[in-house]
Amino acid sequence: MIPNAPAPRLTSPGLDRRKFLQTLSTAGLGLALASPGSLWAQTPAPASAAKTYSANDTLNIALVGIGAQGRVLIDALLKVTGIRIVAVCDIWEYSLTYGQRYLKRAGQEVRAYADHQEMLAQEKDLDAVIVANKDSYHAPVTNDCLRAGKHVYCEKMMSNTIEGARSMVKTMQETGKLLQIGHQRRSNPRYQVARTRLLQEAKLLGQITGANAQWNRAVSADLGWPNGKALPADILAKYGFDNMNQFRNWRWFKKHGGGPLSDLGAHQIDIFSWFLDANPATVFASGGTDFYKNREWFDNAMVIYEFALPQGTARAFYQVQTTTSAGGGYWEQFMGSEGTLKMSENPKYTTLYREAAAPPWDEFVKRNLLVGQTAAPAAAEAKVDARETAALASYGIPVVLNKTIHQPHLENFFNAIRGQAKLNCPADEAFRSEMAVYKAIESVEKRQLLILKPEDFIA
Amino acid sequence: MSDSPASVPPSAPQSADCGETYGFLLLRLWLGLRALVAGIEKFGDTRLKQIPLLDASGEPDISGANVEVQEKFYAFSNYQAVPDALRDKLALEPLMPAWMTTPFYALLGWLLIALGLALLLGLWTRLSLLAMGVLYTGLTVGLILLKQDAGISWLAIHIGLVAYALRLSKFNRFSLTRV
Repeated sequence: MIPNAPAPRLTSPGLDRRKFLQTLSTAGLGLALASPGSLWAQTPAPASAAKTYSANDTLNIALVGIGAQGRVLIDALLKVTGIRIVAVCDIWEYSLTYGQRYLKRAGQEVRAYADHQEMLAQEKDLDAVIVANKDSYHAPVTNDCLRAGKHVYCEKMMSNTIEGARSMVKTMQETGKLLQIGHQRRSNPRYQVARTRLLQEAKLLGQITGANAQWNRAVSADLGWPNGKALPADILAKYGFDNMNQFRNWRWFKKHGGGPLSDLGAHQIDIFSWFLDANPATVFASGGTDFYKNREWFDNAMVIYEFALPQGTARAFYQVQTTTSAGGGYWEQFMGSEGTLKMSENPKYTTLYREAAAPPWDEFVKRNLLVGQTAAPAAAEAKVDARETAALASYGIPVVLNKTIHQPHLENFFNAIRGQAKLNCPADEAFRSEMAVYKAIESVEKRQLLILKPEDFIA
Repeated sequence: MSDSPASVPPSAPQSADCGETYGFLLLRLWLGLRALVAGIEKFGDTRLKQIPLLDASGEPDISGANVEVQEKFYAFSNYQAVPDALRDKLALEPLMPAWMTTPFYALLGWLLIALGLALLLGLWTRLSLLAMGVLYTGLTVGLILLKQDAGISWLAIHIGLVAYALRLSKFNRFSLTRV
């Protein structure tokens, strides 16, 4: 990283197909990925002395993986001040060209690489790498970057295997570099205020006895690709893909991704652990490939966790459905004896409900922690059955986020590099959270309740 | 005070006791404020303002969170004579043609302010009361067409107060003009 340095000169502003394939074939990334040990052997040696950063330093950033999530991160990165994207890396020339052109239009000339090791070897001034490729590449690419002396922001899940995730924590600890995992809700100020001010300080919910969360999505077609843009069969094979469809839809295949419980569930199951400040004690889950016959991972799953909290047991239910969008969107909800908190990245789903017998919340409205929304309807008009309890008054959380949802988490990462912040989701903490997902998947596959031990959550 | 009727001003007959004078004064004050504030409110609106969330000690919250709070403000550009829902419903009424409602909407807020001020200052008090009664009657017509009985009753109370004020207007004091 060179403070106030001019933008790096573009040595290969455009990567034509021939050059791209040459790079790809000589890089041997596929072989390297098949055996992570060999990858590390090729990794440049860690920097001998740790760089120090000041608050105004411009950080040089590279992005590995320009798929759907990578493109979301590009948009967020372009809004972050104090960084400069200098390189992009993807095995698919189509995505690589897209990223290069997109960034050029945004005023950032970047060098393009098909192989992350070549990128690490060439980009001497790189400070940090954003890893957003498929889950099974996260561990090898992240470990290489850390060993090359770069700080890493890696998308969740950390890996499609526990071993992969564990290796990332170990490498982070060995290299002393920062490794932030992309559970971006942890940097969302609305989530932070809800957790710290409303749950932990004000204890608005009383004793939390239950939680539930869901992400329901409508039926979706497989992702396709433009005519003439398919990767050659030998390249696909080199990277472990059976065909182009599997490359484009890797999330659904066990050797590449973790399925919906991992893709969608990991974000929300993370909120169970983070808000309850505990690891689950048991898990029982059911799921199956009920609809998409050409996909390996279960398309629908339901999970029940038990959390042994100091006040008593709390049970948390999670469901992910990829065959229906019914059920009111995506959210995480915590239910207590005095109130319920419903959170979502989408503010319109965020609501607090106060139990009729709970102490008034007017004080929190005055302090701008809550905003009144609706009063409880008259009991008589709302009741159908005499056993119903009264409907609840609802409140909102007036905290606003004037940024894209990933931006605060990226900013936290860059601020941590500059020594101005602590990571909101370091890899060891993410490992603890993601273990709950790995164990849910294991429960589905074994069709049995699993007792989870504290040591399961330690990398 | 002389007993001669010729020496008593027409607005304060010799037989009047101070209760009627005060009663009229109160009615003038109430009706004046009612109209003035209702007119000003037609220029009011709310907007969301972002401010830092504060912690218990009054310092910005550690999360750096901003909260959106509602703020009321007044501006000529906010002017809205009646709520949109009411305006839309009235637009469907054949007895309320646009040539009639458009100028009424344009003048309503200003008329309420002017009549309210006139009553408070005692400017042409009787005439102002009469104009106020006519204005409230005009508003009542729209509500009758929409069968909004609660609103009609509410305006009827206003009309009753205006009528009573006119009846007491001979006890008018503390006014800029005598009529």
